[in-house]
Amino acid sequence: MISLHGTVVAGEFSRSFDLEIGHEIVGVVGQNGTGKTSLLRTIAGLSALGSGLLSLNDVMTDCPAERFFVLPELRNIGMVFQDHALMPFLSAVDNAALPLVVRGMKRSEARKLALELLEQFGVADVAQQMAPTLSGGQSQRVAIARALIGNPSVVLLDEPLSAIDEGSRNDVRLCIREHLNRLGVSALVVSHDFADIDQICTRIENYTR
Amino acid sequence: MTTVGSRTPRFVQVSAALGVVFLALPVVGLLRRVSWLTLWDQLTQSSSRDALRISLYASLSATLLALIIGLPLAWCLARMQFRLRRVVRALVLLPMVIPPVVGGVALLGVYGKTNGLLGGVLDSLFGIQLTYSIWGVIIAEAFVAMPFLVLALEGGLRSINTRYEEAAAVMGASDFARFRRVVLPMLRPSLVAGLMLAWARALGEFGATITFAGNIEGRTQTTPLAVYTMLESNHEGAYALSFLLVAVCVAVLIGLRDKWIGGISR
Repeated sequence: MISLHGTVVAGEFSRSFDLEIGHEIVGVVGQNGTGKTSLLRTIAGLSALGSGLLSLNDVMTDCPAERFFVLPELRNIGMVFQDHALMPFLSAVDNAALPLVVRGMKRSEARKLALELLEQFGVADVAQQMAPTLSGGQSQRVAIARALIGNPSVVLLDEPLSAIDEGSRNDVRLCIREHLNRLGVSALVVSHDFADIDQICTRIENYTR
Repeated sequence: MTTVGSRTPRFVQVSAALGVVFLALPVVGLLRRVSWLTLWDQLTQSSSRDALRISLYASLSATLLALIIGLPLAWCLARMQFRLRRVVRALVLLPMVIPPVVGGVALLGVYGKTNGLLGGVLDSLFGIQLTYSIWGVIIAEAFVAMPFLVLALEGGLRSINTRYEEAAAVMGASDFARFRRVVLPMLRPSLVAGLMLAWARALGEFGATITFAGNIEGRTQTTPLAVYTMLESNHEGAYALSFLLVAVCVAVLIGLRDKWIGGISR
């Protein structure tokens, strides 16, 4: 569950948000520059809240007034970055396995689970390829698998289908929705494509300037 | 047809050729004087062996010491904003630009047993004497070699986009896990280049070492000091050791070809 009542700040930009998200998949729509990505970064702990209170699963996570801030690595979040941010020195399967490896799981075990997930997202055939050699769509699918593999309690997806070709978008949307439902998590999906929001999300938050 | 921008005037080409000759001649002169028939004997005589052993031990230890204190320093210079950053960077560069003998004198001013800033305290409290010991050699070599490592690491750290570390943090990676799993693999080329350059510089160190640690055979006499000493009595030995040092440095350059020579030649 995500509860955010406060100001999100990114450089000169600041905007107030009032957000209550239960175990549901919420789509965030709005023009460029309305703070959608900054909102996700704040929930992930990559930016601090300017003012107010952020709670994740009923636990206070960021409260500037009390100088309280939980580090991103302790928030148990799965996130797809707009630019995917795959590690360029790792293969697709090692990228997908990384959340498990950094938390101490044996590499062979983590790779096995990652391979299963890559198969579900249709990129098992490129599992051994290094990240920089993947196409935009393949890279994005690996990034989605990486966000979901660690059983996160909150999932944040920033334009998760922007690089995936029209022909296979529907399959990926269904796959994301299936996984989010299985995990039973709170999820936020930022997308410019209304079809993404319509097919993945259960509710829409509309932010205009 | 060559464009104006890509055309190199003849006089520049001739000057460049002169530059190549100027750099290559000393190597040719050295190779010409090496006595190939007695090379092995010269390299394996006891004074040469001792010097090589001390050089290898001291240069590797100095490189390790430079890494231990240089990596955090490079990290702060690359990633932190602080008021004295320019001063700190100038300090890092200082051993590169001051004459090594002056570096040795400066080290004596700190660690000298009688008049050093800390030397007396180290000796009376812990019985540690850095001057005229192998530790002195290591300190002197680390002092002159560290800038090469710090500059390489700082450049490498600057080139790493922090979004990868952000992604790793969201995955649950601790500070150490992020360093080990993300920063270190991306830093590897700069780290290897910095270590090799620092090691080569430490191996060839002369001025600071002879001033601070002396030239005691079997104790502080490194290979360059042995070359200097042998020039008075054993020319064949001096050229043999010089050849070995040049060969090691060429090997370092070959090892760094993608990082330095390749980058320049493209």
